[in-house]
Amino acid sequence: MVDISQRKLKDVDWVLLFAPIALTAFGCIGINSSAPDISFVKKQIISLGIGLVIAIVIMFTDYRKIVVNIAPFFYGAVLILLALVLVAGTQINGNKAWLRIAGFSLQPSEFAKAATILMLARHLSNVRQTTLSIKDTIIMGAIALPPVILVYAEHDTGTTLTFGAILATLYFLAGMRKLFLAIGAVAVVVGLIGVYPHLKKYQQERINVIIHPEEADPKGYGYQTIQSVIAVGSGGVMGKGIGHGTQGKLGFLPFAWTDFIAAVIAEETGLVGVGLMMVLYLLLIWRLIAVAKASRERAGALLVMGFVGLIAFHILCNLGMVVAMMPIMGIPLPLMSYGGTAVMAMFIGVGLALSVRMRRFVN
Amino acid sequence: MSSTNPKEDRFNLELRVYLVQYLVLAVFIILGIRFYVLQVTRHEDYQARAENNRIRDIPIPAPRGAILDRQERVLVDNSSAFNVVVTPEDISNKEDTVNALVQNLNVDRGEVLVALNDPLRPKSQPILVKQNATRADKQWVSAHELEHPEITIEEQPQRIYKYGKLASHLLGYIGQVSPKQLDMQSFKDAGYKAGDIIGQGGLEAVYDRVLRGKDGMRRVIVDSRGVPKAELEKIDPIKGQDLIITLDLDLQKVAEEQFYSKNETGAAVAINPQNGELLAMVSVPSFDPNVFARNVVSSENRREVNAIVNDPKHPLYNKAIQGTYPTGSTWKIMMATAALEEGVITLKSSKIVCGGGIQVGNRFVHCGKNHGAPDIHLAIVHSCDGYFYRLGLKMGVDMIHDWVTRFGMGQRTGVDLPAEVRGIIPSREWKKRVNPRDPVWKDFDTVLASIGQGSVAVPPMQLLRAESGIVMGGVFHTPHFFKVAKETSLRPISYYEDKPTELKLSDVTFKTVDYGMWGVVNEGGTAGGVGFPREINAGGKTGTAQVIAKEKVRGKEHKDHSWFISFAPMHTDQKPEIGVVCITENGGWGASASAPKVKMIEAAYFSKKLGRPILPELVALNSQPTTTASATAAVPPPTTAAERKRKPVTQ
Repeated sequence: MVDISQRKLKDVDWVLLFAPIALTAFGCIGINSSAPDISFVKKQIISLGIGLVIAIVIMFTDYRKIVVNIAPFFYGAVLILLALVLVAGTQINGNKAWLRIAGFSLQPSEFAKAATILMLARHLSNVRQTTLSIKDTIIMGAIALPPVILVYAEHDTGTTLTFGAILATLYFLAGMRKLFLAIGAVAVVVGLIGVYPHLKKYQQERINVIIHPEEADPKGYGYQTIQSVIAVGSGGVMGKGIGHGTQGKLGFLPFAWTDFIAAVIAEETGLVGVGLMMVLYLLLIWRLIAVAKASRERAGALLVMGFVGLIAFHILCNLGMVVAMMPIMGIPLPLMSYGGTAVMAMFIGVGLALSVRMRRFVN
Repeated sequence: MSSTNPKEDRFNLELRVYLVQYLVLAVFIILGIRFYVLQVTRHEDYQARAENNRIRDIPIPAPRGAILDRQERVLVDNSSAFNVVVTPEDISNKEDTVNALVQNLNVDRGEVLVALNDPLRPKSQPILVKQNATRADKQWVSAHELEHPEITIEEQPQRIYKYGKLASHLLGYIGQVSPKQLDMQSFKDAGYKAGDIIGQGGLEAVYDRVLRGKDGMRRVIVDSRGVPKAELEKIDPIKGQDLIITLDLDLQKVAEEQFYSKNETGAAVAINPQNGELLAMVSVPSFDPNVFARNVVSSENRREVNAIVNDPKHPLYNKAIQGTYPTGSTWKIMMATAALEEGVITLKSSKIVCGGGIQVGNRFVHCGKNHGAPDIHLAIVHSCDGYFYRLGLKMGVDMIHDWVTRFGMGQRTGVDLPAEVRGIIPSREWKKRVNPRDPVWKDFDTVLASIGQGSVAVPPMQLLRAESGIVMGGVFHTPHFFKVAKETSLRPISYYEDKPTELKLSDVTFKTVDYGMWGVVNEGGTAGGVGFPREINAGGKTGTAQVIAKEKVRGKEHKDHSWFISFAPMHTDQKPEIGVVCITENGGWGASASAPKVKMIEAAYFSKKLGRPILPELVALNSQPTTTASATAAVPPPTTAAERKRKPVTQ
């Protein structure tokens, strides 16, 4: 299945491979400045190594075979792991999302995102018509539903929303009618407003902090958001210097090494570092989109675009949260936030994209 | 790849991919603008807030100045104690903190909760929960600094009153500044802030601004839990000025012992009449100011404090300046001075009938015995009431009131202690005001006022100042304890500035009174049997303050108060250098309880002056009948009481 040849090596998109490595390395700087000890960085680097191996293996594998033959097993395995988490999971910060296996914490919900994208692409590869039929719309929803239910049961609202973003991206690209899209958009807005009174108290408060920042309790629900904005703002143009941040290092920003990694980067490297980070993300997304555009086949294009939607949604939610434009949802920054499973899942996506690119001329 | 209409399909997908791409770009531009606003436009504000987060100024309390006696022996100083303190600001879970304190450090739950829930206590003000932390306490605190960063061990200055109860009324005590005080303009001007420990009584309060130094500061970097990580700068505190006071520790000890050895209450003050320096001041019962200085949150300390504050005997009360008593016959010195100055009597014609008393209206007011018709000298020596009744009637209440007021009676002496009272000196106007049912001043009132009874009520300090001025020939010094405030890097040395007031008395008046008081002691007068050493040429005047009849049930509780006021030397060509006033509550007749005390204080003063040791026996032996022996142990050579009695009384 794995097929390595000189011609293929020349065809590797080195920028597409380099950008995520650079982002992960950049993230490690922030983790090193804010995490309690050095083990966090070490684990992150190990995950990067494993992720790279996974990406390279996938790159030399025909993605069509993965989509057709491996995706269902991957999807099935992920569902089993998600169910297992509910039974025997470890709770960290209110979310029961981790499985401890041989000393490593595994977060199956991160893999679930990749598996769902693969399964959605697999279904769409069989769809021939330009506009998405109602039947296909329902089938796609049915594919996404099991992981959504299981993740929601873990109290991981942020990740649950991510599935919505993936689904929305693929619905749109698969040719959903403009009318349905409009109805869907209205439904989402109405749904968000309608769901507000039924949210838990802390969720409502987190939203209120964004809407009325001046009324936020700086020691209560507003604490993280306010501290994050202070971290970002105090960084200035040049930043306080790597390892010289105070907000992250002295613990004013709780769990800075995961969800608020961008605040640490912004504090220590300033607007310059933030600019570099955004350029790297844009580069990554642009190359992914280029791969999708170049792909002659729906399955490949939609597969890559699924990951684009996933990454873009994560960046929007996470950076939005860090600069107090979005409520706290527990959505990490792709590749940069501490979390081995998330890094590996991202490199699955990168590997798939590289594989799609290599085979863009093949029919 | 095959599709029904591949071209259209591709076009459609590509268009939609472009849309996604632009959407992403828009998101990035919006986020980029937001980052720019935070990091460039509002940078300075957030920079300040981040600094505010991590930098904390921890005050280092300045040690108060020491208080030293006139020979610079330490009376009050500071030591440092390692205390367990809780900083309310850093508490994340109040219940956890309280449990930790109660279970591991043996702190009283109720007391901690009271302190933590006190809305007036600033959150940044550490609460002292345990003093003198043991090694186990220190280990526990350092082992739990991550869980409980709010609980720390701090080295804090601790006020030490070296002699406990000794001189506590004048030294005073310290305590936290009260919200009421903080509202007062004078406290605001002095820069006091909530949580400050300031002088709350005695010299500690009056000279707080001298004794208090300038707090230092430690600027540290703290983490989000308030745990200091590094020190940025340190400004050392500057200790307050050391205060040298005029008190003589030896004399004070002797004076206090006079009361404690006989289990009596009352007050005594010793002064140098030449300059107003106070040498000793006693008020019994007393209290231990160390109790207030502890300032610790514990039920034990609260009990100790309450025991003092709620004691029915009011140990906090300084009887020397706050207790008011009728002066009794000690008043007669002022009467004699006034009468001679006004010419109501003259030295050549000063005889007035005693008659064993006087009939005023339908009442007969007794004298102790019938003295015949004494002159002014004998009237003073034997404290003849009959003489002064008639003299008082001759003078009239207005003249009496006018003169004693000139001597400073009914006014504060200006002593450098807080809460001195004015007392009451009756007059026509006064009676009209306080006694509307019987507003008219009568001869009977004048008769009582002539011998310092009736409504006269003054603190001992006032009497001492007035009669010190008389025996100094009319030079009245303000009694004071302040001598020197030593130099610090903050303030220069400062000395007491004496501003005496003068009331010129004629030489005749001065000599007559001087001789009369000398006679009281040395010519077989009312204090003749007390056994004052002849050599010190002490003079004095006894007094008996009547305890009002309705209170006078029976037993010691309601015996009259015993007064004695004395100066030495008198009736020589030297000016008196010590003056002592003493009141023994319910001590009975003047000479019996107070004169022996005064004698011991004066004997101690002169022994010390002559370079002789103040023997412990001097203190202890006084309670025994052979008083002369003890006094002569200090001052040579002995003169027996019998010898003195044989001497003819000079008139």
